[in-house]
Amino acid sequence: MDLMWLQVLVPLGVVGLLLLLGAVVGGSRERAHLADLDRRERAVAHMLVTGLRRVPGTAAAAPTPKLLTGEAAIGADYLKTFVAGLRKLVGGEVRSYRKMLARARREATLRVVEAAAREGYDAVYALRLESSDIGGNALSGQGMPMAVILAYGTACRRAGPAQVPPQA
Amino acid sequence: MIVVNTETVPGYRVVKVLGLVQGNTVRAKHLGRDIGAGLKNLVGGEIKSYTELLTEARREATERMMAQAQQLGANAILGVRFATSAVMAGAAELYVYGTAVSVEPGA
Repeated sequence: MDLMWLQVLVPLGVVGLLLLLGAVVGGSRERAHLADLDRRERAVAHMLVTGLRRVPGTAAAAPTPKLLTGEAAIGADYLKTFVAGLRKLVGGEVRSYRKMLARARREATLRVVEAAAREGYDAVYALRLESSDIGGNALSGQGMPMAVILAYGTACRRAGPAQVPPQA
Repeated sequence: MIVVNTETVPGYRVVKVLGLVQGNTVRAKHLGRDIGAGLKNLVGGEIKSYTELLTEARREATERMMAQAQQLGANAILGVRFATSAVMAGAAELYVYGTAVSVEPGA
């Protein structure tokens, strides 16, 4: 009789611990990432970022326009995966994954924009975001849920005086 | 070589269109990376090994595309696009394509 209870309680305890780990560690890591994104986005606020494939007007030829890329693979924590599993029973928006994908897109985009700023450009044109899956059926419940985003765009210098960060 | 994903290169004009060029690569993660990623899936956050895998794949595919453009005598590739496809669980194809052209300075 006691053994039977153990067989139920031990797995439940493990799941409970993993959920707690996801909630505490995963939650704090997510908040830290969001705060980091906010800070870095403010630092490159002077950059022009657009999805336009044609550069309007005449941009400066120097430095030579260049394709820049950024990648970000953001994994879900145990709590997110668990909540998404519950959500699948009743259907509807999976908010925890939506937030995860949004984070990955912001991170990948920032990597492009930051690289452009570092190399002396002040604009990124034709920004494209592509979702890729290297987790193997990620987000389908079979593989490891994660958001994998490729961002890319063409770094240019706008016409007129170069735009620099506010503090520089 | 100038590589951009816009339709024109600001500050340059196209003198000759040479044709479509492409590059691809299929990359698999190795087991060690998978174990690390499995742990990451408990606490969430960036999975650096996958990010790096993609960076390497992108570089490799792009280099192949640039080599093709070089053979055609191009000095620029315009309208570059990236695409990914899943061949099997645990591996991804990265495909890049664009139009090889000759450009010279001048609007």
